[in-house]
Amino acid sequence: MELQVTQENFTRALSNVSRVATNKAQLPILENILLRTDNNRLLVAATNLEVASSNYVGAKVVREGSITIPARLITEFVSNLPKEQINLKVENDHLKITCGHYSSIINGMVADEFPELPVIDKKTSIKYIVTTEDFKKAVSQTMVTSSSDSTRPVLTGVYWHSFEGKLYLAATDGYRLSEKYLIDTKTELSAIIPASTLQEVLRTINDEVEEIELLFNDTQVHFKLNETEITSRLIDGIFPDYRQLIPKTSETEIILKKDDFVRITKIASLFARESGGSVTISAVSETKTLSIHSIASELGENTSEAEAETITQDGTVTLNSRYLNEALSVLDGDRVTFRFSGKLSPCVLTDGSKSANYKHIIMPLKS
Amino acid sequence: MHQALWQSVLGEIELSVSRATYMTWFKNTELLSNSDDGIVIAVPNIFAKRQFEVKFNDQVRDVLKKNGIVTERISYTVKMLNKKVITREVVQSEQAITSPSVATSSLMASPMPINGLNPRYTFANFIVGSSNDLAYTACQAVAANPGVKYNPLFLYGGVGLGKTHLMQAVGNEIVTNNPGAKVLYISSETFVKDFLESIRFKKKGFSDKYRNVDVLIIDDMQFIAGKEKTQEEFFHTFNALHQSNKQIIISSDKPPRSIPTLTERLRSRFEWGMAIDIQMPDFETRCAIVEAKSAQSNIELSRETVEYLANNIKTNIRELEGALNQLLAYAEMRGVTPDISTAEGLIGNVRRSRPQYVTSKQIIEKTARHFQIKTDEICSPKRDKHIVTPRQIAMYLLRSELHLSFPKIATELGRKDHTTAIHSVEKIEKAIKLDFLIREQVAEIREKLYA
Repeated sequence: MELQVTQENFTRALSNVSRVATNKAQLPILENILLRTDNNRLLVAATNLEVASSNYVGAKVVREGSITIPARLITEFVSNLPKEQINLKVENDHLKITCGHYSSIINGMVADEFPELPVIDKKTSIKYIVTTEDFKKAVSQTMVTSSSDSTRPVLTGVYWHSFEGKLYLAATDGYRLSEKYLIDTKTELSAIIPASTLQEVLRTINDEVEEIELLFNDTQVHFKLNETEITSRLIDGIFPDYRQLIPKTSETEIILKKDDFVRITKIASLFARESGGSVTISAVSETKTLSIHSIASELGENTSEAEAETITQDGTVTLNSRYLNEALSVLDGDRVTFRFSGKLSPCVLTDGSKSANYKHIIMPLKS
Repeated sequence: MHQALWQSVLGEIELSVSRATYMTWFKNTELLSNSDDGIVIAVPNIFAKRQFEVKFNDQVRDVLKKNGIVTERISYTVKMLNKKVITREVVQSEQAITSPSVATSSLMASPMPINGLNPRYTFANFIVGSSNDLAYTACQAVAANPGVKYNPLFLYGGVGLGKTHLMQAVGNEIVTNNPGAKVLYISSETFVKDFLESIRFKKKGFSDKYRNVDVLIIDDMQFIAGKEKTQEEFFHTFNALHQSNKQIIISSDKPPRSIPTLTERLRSRFEWGMAIDIQMPDFETRCAIVEAKSAQSNIELSRETVEYLANNIKTNIRELEGALNQLLAYAEMRGVTPDISTAEGLIGNVRRSRPQYVTSKQIIEKTARHFQIKTDEICSPKRDKHIVTPRQIAMYLLRSELHLSFPKIATELGRKDHTTAIHSVEKIEKAIKLDFLIREQVAEIREKLYA
């Protein structure tokens, strides 16, 4: 293999795919990045056998060929090179990289051992095209409530599914739950995408990506972001019937400025570290105040109040302040609607708007 | 046999590849089927599938050959717990710019059949108890011989007690027995809407739609009340069908004579056939329902959990099912067992929204207000009929809701003799079984007490 690429293109491709390369797998070759010529392009790819990421770079190919190279070394080396043309040349198991005054030889492995990258049949898959903005918002709003507990695999993903003509994303870790409406759809979809895959897609998004193409079949999902393509397995299993758990009505409904809510939650959480984040929220309808109380037996205690626009009924609930902070950080808009029914029913947070395309549910702490 | 064969194949491959390769790719594979059409091998994920297809196919074929299996086609499939059927189509978010390529589309036909019947509702999954066995038997008779026995069949009872389920079951049964039968299930609202449209846009086909059916099922008939023109149209439809011995099934929340502003001729027609009420199922039936529904989700609940649910939700079956579904979903999400303590936490929520304690004063006041008489009157010695019945109902409620002693009940209502209370409670208990009006009124007051 012998070819020339520009440093900008090559370093971008490497940084896009290198995160996927892993040193945890049984196959040592998975620590490497695959470089392979494809007509007048260079394919740069990596996989950890859950996700595969590949990127095509325009190249001036002198001689066809392929090699695999340790991901970290080549990525860091190339990113430090000046913005000039890079020559790549494979000699036996070595890759010779030259760029201006810099040159190095990196020991690689032959590409034969590198796993084949999965392909998806466009004809038999469901396709969605989503704007990058919508995608980013929906994924980051739901991913936050996915679980990291590998004993319950279905909860470690985000559930993409159609329901009554709409495509929703949902995720839960058993203590909280989020649901986001994405787009209208006429197809039936039910797929659990690993949160790690979505994380990878989010990291790959750059300013030039305007829309994301998604292809689904029974066992895999394929994302296309301009020249980068990410393929992932889907999580096998049935997602819990979470809709049952979203309360339709609540006794106490509070509308307030998000900034105010964020501030009092953050302050209260300082005193909640000892108690595992537990803070008690009280709403008083007469004075329209929402107060958060937290106690740290060693340090002291805190009560912070915020003025609300409306409070329908008095009420008290105890929540984990970390969950509340995270929920507020992903909610849109300047206002928050926060509703709950007593100490045991799930709490619902939505943005102040009527449409409420996003719902964030937190289970109260039993105390 | 498949397993033994595949094990010997794997054993051989293990010797010829590196340990890492074997552990990564060949472990967790299975031979699914071996037939003339070829061999199907299950692999753990898409990466393995592709790897097998491209890299290991020849090797697998060779080793299979050595084991005496010669096949042209070897296919690989990803192991899945639940196979899903997927439909395809191109979907684009509104602001998306262009779609670079177009996937083929095949739209699914709408799953709801035009006759309005939902195949989920059958006789088999209807749970019969003493409160609904008459209705159940009548419906079965109608399903066996439509248009012959009870025509029209009029079912009435409160919300969520199974009227729709029974009527749908009749329709489904008739269609199963005789696929050519024209069954139409609609709500009275649809009837009104169709009728209005036929007038407004001078649409034709209204009478065709309703008069050319073999079985007409109309749900929630009470909504036709007060709409005189629609009632007249329905009257003619009814007559046309009835004269040609077509079965008509109607449901409503009240018996025909209690639907206000129902024209006399319709009322008398509704009373021609058979009018049956469906009541709230008793405790045992509620238990059976909870058990049947949880069995549908392949979950076995402990006896005490079932009894807890049945005991705490007495209002209607829809609410009971809702509570059960909520419990199962919660247990699944949290990864806990749906036992009684989980149920207590959840159902507690449902019930907590109601006042925990109803006082005897509240019962008397609410009863008096329901009958539009004064609280003083209900407690006075007056024996006018319009006061006596409310007073008796109040006594009955004090007994049934608060379990007060008879002497206490008598005192609460200004009576000296506790036998009056015993008599009243017994009288209302009896009346509830016989008189729909009394039952309805008691139910309404109870509703108000806990509202």
